[in-house]
Amino acid sequence: MEPILLRARGEESSRSISTYLKLGGYKAFGKALAMDPAAVVAEVKEAGLRGRGGAGFPTGVKWGFVPADTDKPKYLVCNADESEPGTFKDREIIHVDPHMLLEGIMIASYAIGSHAAYIYIRGEFWLEAQYLEQAIAEAYDKGYLGRNILDSGFDLDITVHRGAGAYICGEETALIESIEGKRGQPRLKPPFPAVVGLFGCPTVVNNVETLACVPHIIDRGAEWFAAIGKPRNTGPKLFCVSGHVARPGVYELPLGVTFEEIINTHCGGIRDGKKLKAFIPGGSSAPVLPADKVGIGATFDEVAEAGSMLGSGGLIVMDETVDMVWTLENLLKFYAHESCGQCTPCREGSDWALDVVRRIRQGHGRTEDLETLRRIARYASQGMTICPLGDAFCGPITGFLDHFGHEFEAAIAAARPLPPKKRPILPVRSERAMFGLEENS
Amino acid sequence: MVTLTIDGNEVQVAEGTNLVEAAARVGIEIPTYCYHPGLSVVGQCRICFVEVEGMPRLVTACSTPVRDGMVVLTGSERVREARAAVMEFLLENHPLDCPVCDQAGECFLQDYSVQHGLDTTHMVDERRTYPGLERRLIGPHVIQNQNRCIHCTRCIRFTREIAETYDLAMKSRGNHSYIDTFDGGPLESPFSACVADVCPVGALTVKEFRFRARVWHLDETESICPGCSIGCNIVIGHLKGTVHRFVPRHNPEINGWWMCDYGRFLSESLNARDIDTPRYNGEELSWRQAVDTLKEMVAGAGATRVVASANMSNEGLLLVRKVLLEHAGLEVVVPVDEGEARKIKNGRKEWVHGVDAHPNSTGARLLGLKVVDGAELESFVMTSSGPVIVLDSKAHPWLATEAAAQAVANQQVAICARITTPLVRKAALVLPAASWIEMEGTYTSSTGRAQLARRGLYPRSSARPVWEILTLLAAALDAEPAPAVNPRAVFEALVEEIPAFAGMTYRRLATEPGIPVLEEVPNVG
Repeated sequence: MEPILLRARGEESSRSISTYLKLGGYKAFGKALAMDPAAVVAEVKEAGLRGRGGAGFPTGVKWGFVPADTDKPKYLVCNADESEPGTFKDREIIHVDPHMLLEGIMIASYAIGSHAAYIYIRGEFWLEAQYLEQAIAEAYDKGYLGRNILDSGFDLDITVHRGAGAYICGEETALIESIEGKRGQPRLKPPFPAVVGLFGCPTVVNNVETLACVPHIIDRGAEWFAAIGKPRNTGPKLFCVSGHVARPGVYELPLGVTFEEIINTHCGGIRDGKKLKAFIPGGSSAPVLPADKVGIGATFDEVAEAGSMLGSGGLIVMDETVDMVWTLENLLKFYAHESCGQCTPCREGSDWALDVVRRIRQGHGRTEDLETLRRIARYASQGMTICPLGDAFCGPITGFLDHFGHEFEAAIAAARPLPPKKRPILPVRSERAMFGLEENS
Repeated sequence: MVTLTIDGNEVQVAEGTNLVEAAARVGIEIPTYCYHPGLSVVGQCRICFVEVEGMPRLVTACSTPVRDGMVVLTGSERVREARAAVMEFLLENHPLDCPVCDQAGECFLQDYSVQHGLDTTHMVDERRTYPGLERRLIGPHVIQNQNRCIHCTRCIRFTREIAETYDLAMKSRGNHSYIDTFDGGPLESPFSACVADVCPVGALTVKEFRFRARVWHLDETESICPGCSIGCNIVIGHLKGTVHRFVPRHNPEINGWWMCDYGRFLSESLNARDIDTPRYNGEELSWRQAVDTLKEMVAGAGATRVVASANMSNEGLLLVRKVLLEHAGLEVVVPVDEGEARKIKNGRKEWVHGVDAHPNSTGARLLGLKVVDGAELESFVMTSSGPVIVLDSKAHPWLATEAAAQAVANQQVAICARITTPLVRKAALVLPAASWIEMEGTYTSSTGRAQLARRGLYPRSSARPVWEILTLLAAALDAEPAPAVNPRAVFEALVEEIPAFAGMTYRRLATEPGIPVLEEVPNVG
């Protein structure tokens, strides 16, 4: 497939506006300015573009939620807080072609009637924030930003806002809080950001890759875009492949390509001739899938059917040498560290699950621990929490236990006895039955 | 109005009401930790889950407004399982130190654990602890034990939304986040002890009350705060004759759910007493002799002057007017000290401002008594030629000074008091007065509301409330009214005589958030 989002890869000074203009940049913006904003939304809807940040929500529909008859200002926020382990596609877009993102933001702002857009970029992307500032300065110079853009009467300013290093700020409402200068903690929904968002005003939050697709949809038409990929899962997608493959990296492929093709054809297969054991299809919060599922297509729907999610397209590949107990512990360490601490099930559950898995890995597991993990996974997800971070750490628990439960059982079977100090401070009624403690332990 | 069904009970509530409040209307208690009716809704403790028909997931009752035709289940299998799971999460890291925890007995973690929790835990790993934050004085009145904290953030929201001092903040992140003062300095808000009230567990406790009594042993008396003119509603906790604490009592019109530290820590002053019996020039008297002596001073030849008090109840002040002013024709003043400016938030988050340091200056004005300031009081006392009767040794701070004693060096003085002051030492006739909790009465707040403060204790020793002394005096003087057996009888006379109090009854005072006596509500907002 011809590169679309990464078309400037390999070009000399690909980040400069001159290169972008040479490759046909800002044509779509000019075209959009001549259109009715509602027509722009309709075009994106028709293209079937689904959000690339992880949830896969139709972008045009999201834009449509913004009330048209409000007298409040509206805001567009670009979510560049790319923090999910195994995901590094937004960084690639900013590295290769920041103007494509800017053009996407301009068109989206025009479509929803926003005159102030924010790019919320994670604090660790210091270099990328510089690239964006540079690109924004160029765009102001050439008159693509500011007052009365291209004599259309449309005004737009873009502000880059750097985060301070919190995974949770990738959640759209926590991101909004953070821009407002508050502690980055998700808000209760409803109200949704489309109605009450940034500074209490209607707000659309879109992922970098989502916005980068928009200029191409306007430029070449919804029909062209919808022809790429599969029905309901249209367009190009960036896959970030990491782990035990010969050539890890960011690959631009149409949605619907099988994971087998990504791993074997594009990434040169499993490293050192080893065998594939498992893969995480959509960033670390997606439930792990075993090797025999590698034949499924990389679409939002197919991966969901297989019991996982396409998420951000961060494909983590594990070969046969990987210890699954250790892997889960490593993932949980991340989520326990990044839980914002606001709501009970996630704050307490993430750390508890980590304690349990770590204990199993250290050889102090008990057979009841697996049930405990299941219990945590059940009651810290599925709407029990304010934001999806609960699901993000419960997904991996469920995935690893479903597909690799035998490894956990084996680790528990090989266990050494639990040191007695880890018993509860005071005995509870059914403690002995519950914890299977021996009389002499 | 919106009509909905909660566990089969139809209930009608105002639009915008949340499910916790709507359920309470039909007597169903939905457990809550982070939700407090006086604070913003954050929905983060997750204990208040309920099932709403037609919604795929459980919803938090605190953050869900009522809708017409909504069908809510608060006790379904799903709800009970979810609540038990949340309880387990909350208890997972909570120390099992109830036997030594001061919150025990009024701890929602205990209550809901029994009602909604599992009888065991799946947790065997080590509990989270916060070394150094287990017994920490975070301000002059509040002790923090972070190990017990359930991260509900009520205290933080209190300092932001009610006190507006922005003292407390959540620091760090996730499972290791903890409560601390924003700048690391002491919690010096004038409302600091309220954070211990709103704390649903034992993470924040009041230094002054810690370990003095188990709360289930306390006797509780509904009263109002004697500290200033606002008249915050309180509950006095006392045990075996000793007052241990004041805690705020909900009154949407005056103090919301709150009270200031100044008023709260007046509690200890109620226990102080060094005057036990009536004395005349140092000699112990019976009350009969004491009242006769007082009668001589009132009915004697000299121009007797009376210093009444804005700390007295409406009933006491009515008797002052009828017996001393109208019957005996004495000169009476009610001194009022402005004191420090006090304020409190009412239930609508509006500031209510105090006007002076007395709980009943508004009542004194309504009863038509002459209200004077400190300078006028001084000259009133200094220029007196006859005896001076002081009905409350603490009616004005000046009365407690050496200067006051010197001002009456040549006069005969009668004084009602609990604590010895220079003026008491000088006084010929000393009458032991009952303390705030030893008498019942109604008081009129500076927002123009008559309120009832109940008696919790019988007077220690032979002290008597001033209204009682005045009825005894009235009997001795053969004055109207006939001796009243209780302040309620005096109150009934007050209702008949003073138009502003028309229609009031004790029953109404006990159930309504104060009854307005003024046309407009002053000092609010």
